Amino acid sequence: MSQTNVGPDRGSTTSTPPGTPRWVKVLGIIAIVLILLFVVLHLTGNNLGCPPPGGPHTPPGCPADTPSGDAGDTPFVTRMATPPVEYGVQQT
Amino acid sequence: MTMTRGLRKFVLTAHVTFTVGWLGAVAGFLALAVAGLTSQDAQMVRAAYLAMELIARFVIVPLSLAPLLTGPVLSLGTPWGLFRHYWILVKLLITVLSTILLQVHLQPIRYLSGAAAEGSLSSADLRLQIQMVVAASAGLLALLVATTLAVYKPRGMTPYGWRKQYEQRTESPADCRSFGKTDR
Repeated sequence: MSQTNVGPDRGSTTSTPPGTPRWVKVLGIIAIVLILLFVVLHLTGNNLGCPPPGGPHTPPGCPADTPSGDAGDTPFVTRMATPPVEYGVQQT
Repeated sequence: MTMTRGLRKFVLTAHVTFTVGWLGAVAGFLALAVAGLTSQDAQMVRAAYLAMELIARFVIVPLSLAPLLTGPVLSLGTPWGLFRHYWILVKLLITVLSTILLQVHLQPIRYLSGAAAEGSLSSADLRLQIQMVVAASAGLLALLVATTLAVYKPRGMTPYGWRKQYEQRTESPADCRSFGKTDR
């Protein structure tokens, strides 16, 4: 917020308030879309702020159980040796 | 309530330093998140997540909280006001939302750092690693929008700002003529 050089907008000289600028409407629409996306992601189980279930550092309030289809705790070294195409495939 | 020129310059310098520093720190965080996600070098991945936690905790968090103080002080201490212009209001909202999202992401950052330190990062963490890249990208974009707004200062007064200015005009035309001169 570098309020230098130029003074504030003097606004309309009429006695009626000016309408909302177009750029505010555009940013508002983008914000609403992002919020809806966040809500949809949250409702579909992509909990923001929660590590994968069953992990060693599961914080309070996050699901702790490992789902049956989860990849489980494949050790990091194994992951490095696993081709990327196999990410997320159930390890047996 | 208008600040003296010296105080305003001081707060402005602090505010620009904090906000631009925040932008740079998030850019660095994003580079580490991408390295942690894409690198095939185990040491690189481990180092990236350990560094990410340090940067988040000791650089990004303080730099995100400081503008929440300097921004309103700067706005309220100048004729711009905090709720009179849409661009200032939008910047404030971006700062507040970015800070909240950052706080939400501290938990997974800590988790990834802990897992990297123990060498227990697994394919199950992939979703979280992608989330770090997406969140850092979104944060960087939001901060770029805020910086652009601060530089361009697009026109548009809120109904509150318009009402306040209308009252000032009708009450003392002399004050109206000097409106904005303190900023030059």
